[in-house]
Amino acid sequence: MSFEEFQNRSRLYVIGALEPEELEEFEQARKEFGQKGEDFIGECYSLHEAFALSLQPAKSSTALKDRLMKMVREKQQP
Amino acid sequence: MPEELGGGPLFDASEKEMAAPVPADLGLGPSEQSDFELMQAIQAGEADALSQLYDRYSGILKALILRVIHNDAEADDLLQEIFMEIWSQAKNFRAQKGKPLGWMVTLARRRAIDGLRKKQAYARAGERLQLETEQQPDAWIQNITEEQISGGDTRDIVRKVINSLPPAQQQAIELAFFQGMSQREIAAATATPLGTVKTRLELGLKKIYEGLKELQHEL
Repeated sequence: MSFEEFQNRSRLYVIGALEPEELEEFEQARKEFGQKGEDFIGECYSLHEAFALSLQPAKSSTALKDRLMKMVREKQQP
Repeated sequence: MPEELGGGPLFDASEKEMAAPVPADLGLGPSEQSDFELMQAIQAGEADALSQLYDRYSGILKALILRVIHNDAEADDLLQEIFMEIWSQAKNFRAQKGKPLGWMVTLARRRAIDGLRKKQAYARAGERLQLETEQQPDAWIQNITEEQISGGDTRDIVRKVINSLPPAQQQAIELAFFQGMSQREIAAATATPLGTVKTRLELGLKKIYEGLKELQHEL
C-alpha cells in the first residue's frame, strides 16, 4: 500500500468507516509505516474535533451539572 | 469500532504544542486555563477543573450526542456519563496524541453510537436519516447560510470548510461519523454503489483535512 493510500485509509479508520477486509490491510500497512504512520493517524483524529466544532452547541440544564459535580465530589471522598 | 482513546503516561505539559489541523481554540481569556492545563488538573483530581471543562465543552458535546441519538433527555444522561468517564479516564489522556477536545469528542461519539445501538434504534435512525437526506441532501448544514459564515470564529471556519464539499460527500461523512454507519450501510441507505461511497468518503475527508490544515496556516 502506498503512503497516499494509507493516508486515505487512515482518515476512514479514525471515523470507524473501514470495512473489515480494508481494516486487515490497513493494520498490516500501519506496521510497515511505523512511527510515520502513527503520527499521521494521530493527526487524523483532529477531524473528530472539527466535526464537533461544526455543530451549534446545545444547552443542558444547570441541574445536570450540579448532579455531575455532586457525583464527582462524592467519588473523591475516601 | 476501531478507535483509539489514548492510554499510557500522564499528561506532559511539554508535549502540548501538537500540530493539529483544527484552526483555533475557543478564544480563551488571559486568566483562563488552557484545555491542557485543565486536563492536567483533572488528572491531579481537581474537581473544579472538570467543572470548567464542562462549562467550556458541554454544549459542543451535547450537540454531538444529539446529532447521533436525537433525544434531549437521553442526550443529557449520556452527557453526564461522558463527563464521569472524562473524570475517571483522564489518566489515559495523552497529549502527544492530540488535543483534549479531540479526545473528548472521540469518547463522546463512541458512547453515543454505542447508546444508539444498545437501544436498537439504529434501523429507525437509518430510515429517518434516509428520509431526511432525500428531502434535504445537505441536511448536515441545513441551517447554515453564507451570511452566517463570517470569518474569525472557529465554528464558522470549520463549517466553511465542510460547506465547500459537494452534498453527496457531506451526506456520506454525516452518516459515517454521526451515525457510525459502515460503507456498506451507507451504500444501502443511500442506494449508492459501494465504490462510490468509498470515493465520496475518501475525497470528502481529504478535503476537510487539507482545508483545515490550510486554514491553520493562515491563522
